[in-house]
Amino acid sequence: MSTVQQLDDQIITRYIAQPLRLPAELRREIERVWQGAPVQLYALADLDQSLRLTEAWVALGPRHVAVARRSGEEWEIRSFERRSIQAVREAPGLSANTLTILGPPDEPALALVRYTHRQRRAFENIRFVLEEGMGDAARGTGARHEIPGMDADRVYAESIARPIREAQALVSGRQTAVLRRLIGYLKPYRRQLTLGMGAATVITLVSLIPPYLAGVLIDHVVRPAQAGALPLERAWTIAWIAVAAMAVVYLVKQAAAHIRLRLMAILGEWVARDLRDELYEHIQRLSLAFFSRKRTGSLITRVSADTDRLWEFLAFGVVDVSLSLVQLLGLGTVLLTLDWRLGLIMTVPVPFFCWVIYRHGENISRLFIRAWRKWSRVTDVLSDTIPGIRVVKAFNQEQREIERFGERNEDVTAEFNRIHASWTTFWPLLVLGVHTMTVTVWVFAVPRLLGDGVALPVGTFVSFLLYTTMFLGPIDVIGQMARTINRATTSAHRVFEVLDTEPEVRDVAEPVRLEPVHGRVTFEHVTFGYDGVRQVLRGVSFDVTPGELIGLVGPSGGGKTTIVNLIARFYDVTGGAIRIDGVDIRRLDTGHFRRQIGMVLQDPYLFHGTVLENIRYGLPDAPLAQVIVAAQAANAHDFITKLQHGYDTVVGERGHTLSGGERQRVSIARAILHNPRILILDEATSSVDTETEREIQQALERLVAGRTVFAIAHRLSTLRKASRLFVIEEGRLVEHGTHAELLQRSEGMYRRLYELQLQLQ
Amino acid sequence: MTLTFGKSATATRAELTLEWRADGSLWAVRGEEERPVSVRRCFPWTEPARHLSLRDADEEEFAFVKDPVDLDARSRAALERALAVAGFVFEVTSVLEIEEEVEIRRWQVETRQGPRTFQTRLDDWPRGLPHGGLLIRDLAGDLYHLSQPEHLDKQSRELLWAFVD
Repeated sequence: MSTVQQLDDQIITRYIAQPLRLPAELRREIERVWQGAPVQLYALADLDQSLRLTEAWVALGPRHVAVARRSGEEWEIRSFERRSIQAVREAPGLSANTLTILGPPDEPALALVRYTHRQRRAFENIRFVLEEGMGDAARGTGARHEIPGMDADRVYAESIARPIREAQALVSGRQTAVLRRLIGYLKPYRRQLTLGMGAATVITLVSLIPPYLAGVLIDHVVRPAQAGALPLERAWTIAWIAVAAMAVVYLVKQAAAHIRLRLMAILGEWVARDLRDELYEHIQRLSLAFFSRKRTGSLITRVSADTDRLWEFLAFGVVDVSLSLVQLLGLGTVLLTLDWRLGLIMTVPVPFFCWVIYRHGENISRLFIRAWRKWSRVTDVLSDTIPGIRVVKAFNQEQREIERFGERNEDVTAEFNRIHASWTTFWPLLVLGVHTMTVTVWVFAVPRLLGDGVALPVGTFVSFLLYTTMFLGPIDVIGQMARTINRATTSAHRVFEVLDTEPEVRDVAEPVRLEPVHGRVTFEHVTFGYDGVRQVLRGVSFDVTPGELIGLVGPSGGGKTTIVNLIARFYDVTGGAIRIDGVDIRRLDTGHFRRQIGMVLQDPYLFHGTVLENIRYGLPDAPLAQVIVAAQAANAHDFITKLQHGYDTVVGERGHTLSGGERQRVSIARAILHNPRILILDEATSSVDTETEREIQQALERLVAGRTVFAIAHRLSTLRKASRLFVIEEGRLVEHGTHAELLQRSEGMYRRLYELQLQLQ
Repeated sequence: MTLTFGKSATATRAELTLEWRADGSLWAVRGEEERPVSVRRCFPWTEPARHLSLRDADEEEFAFVKDPVDLDARSRAALERALAVAGFVFEVTSVLEIEEEVEIRRWQVETRQGPRTFQTRLDDWPRGLPHGGLLIRDLAGDLYHLSQPEHLDKQSRELLWAFVD
């Protein structure tokens, strides 16, 4: 079972209270009814006709469809032949969808099932296969649509778990396991960690010495000296030794603090650096499919804020939490040893205080959720109105927007003040609680100090009081321990989620390097679907010889961009094969192969940096003279030299300081310098004016010379010079030929599209 | 001011009839034309009972019902049955648990349709509705309606406190 399938199963088990797969006994029964034919696809219809939650199953076989409903302990199965299906209809609702499978007209539906959106993807798969089958029948091919290399359980689990997997690709595991994995990153720095922990232990231990010394000094030096029981000279000597010892203790403590802070801060930084490097390197290796699932902001946060939070935890959290436990234990032991009666007063309430702090943390997190929700309403106004300020002004809505913002701002301020009211009440009360313990100690100690009851030496009492002042710190740390660990494990989860994602496109063990790449591209019955079932490309075959310019045309959503994505091996085919110079693309060294591919996209992406750096992006060491030649060929040299800093002009984030046409020409210069054998032009001139388009066309003509080119364009006039045109519709190559050849086909799609565009012009 | 644009026909008693047929679909008949249709509310929360778009299998608007009272009684009954399915959302009767995980919030609720567990993104907040109540959309797109959160049991109200104004 693959990792993804295991994850999907975990998601269904943990988050979705529904069967993990079609019940085995039902599957056997359906297959028995079908005389041994296998269940190829199935879905759960979780609503009954009166819209209550239920369990019914729709299963699809090579020749049959079965609908199974529970009838007491038994299953009631209704099966019919796929060839009797005339139409399949889906009526979507707010949360209830209806799938109707229809037979001959005016006859009752063969099946009518209802289901929630949770099941919708599984039903879309069934609907797709049924409609494809009907299409095959209508085309007279007779073949029923087969699901390429899929097992029904996997398709079902994938379709149900996918929305959750896309939001959270790791099922929250046990905190201890996550912590163990996180702490594993400390291994390379064992020496620094040992030293840091050692220094922290020294701090904790030596902190216990000064109060003890104070007690000893009072009971064994000051009071005996005052009472005349100790010679003054000797008392002076002992007192100075004690003071010197105290000075040494503080010196040692601060030296240890210096070592601890420095080592742990640096160590935390190293671990955060290692995590960032590993994360970024892994992100670079991930397939495009991953990036289409994850929001950019979320990935950036994982590399920046989450690793930073982990630094904080590793540098201070780990040590603080463990040493606070040691310190509390140490303090408790010392207090009980000094005087067990008073010691009990101080130690017994400690667990209660830890619990109270924990509860406060829980309560305040509810307040934070509420404040966070209201804060998002404030940021909603900002992200609406600042980019849309022209609309606001055009409709004269400034005052309304000011009022909307003011209202929400007021609302969020009230929430934050509620949080402040909570913690500003809690902490003084908590400290008051600790003071109450101290007062109680006094209440019990004073009579004993005055000679009533068991004797209590003054020095012991002073030591005791000094120790009590040290209680609050570790209680606070331990009370917040759950929150600290929670925050760290959440960040660790987010980081590990990315690290555990496997790239979908991977090289074989000994990949082939084509040197040189000639540029022959062959598609052999290529099928492809982004989700494995619904096919975006359906049996596309063609052979493009080196140096050909192929125009890809056809309606939007037909599969043109998918074809170029497959040529660049951003995804692997689901069926069939793509060959480059006769070698299966999956056997190639992907990195080496991609260096032979150039891309000019509709919205050219420029990085923050100079024009020079952007043109040299693929070849950072290219000589300046070559950069100029590339820019001249791209019709970019003129406008670049007009810029104040020429090629050294910083173009800003995404190159937004340049116009669309200028960015496009810089991206063409980048492609020319890169000198690829296979070039992909995806709507390269669609978003510019006519004059700019002319300049870009000239640049492109220079760029395409001598290369294999795949150009996608909606403006068909731009593809007149193509060697051949491929018309792609609904994932199929429906026409191919030269511009002139295709125009001669009176009923052809290309001719229809071309005439339509002429009319619009 | 009255704006009238577009070509779709507004229903009147004379021209549009609706009926459920044996194939399990709602059929709209207008003169010579007839099609199986599904119903879309234009304002599912602001004015759910009026302004209804009847759409065919290609998602084209076949007819527009401004107010069901314009239809004959049989058509109105047929339309109401279709509306019950099209407007179905889970009605939450109590909230049992709300837990936060790494990227998602996990909800365990009782609904009129039965017990249900669902998940939302952490930054996806319940939405207040124009006539009161809350609407929660889960990761799969299913909707959960809390018509009167203030009248739920004490535990539900406490759990929902952070999400209700």
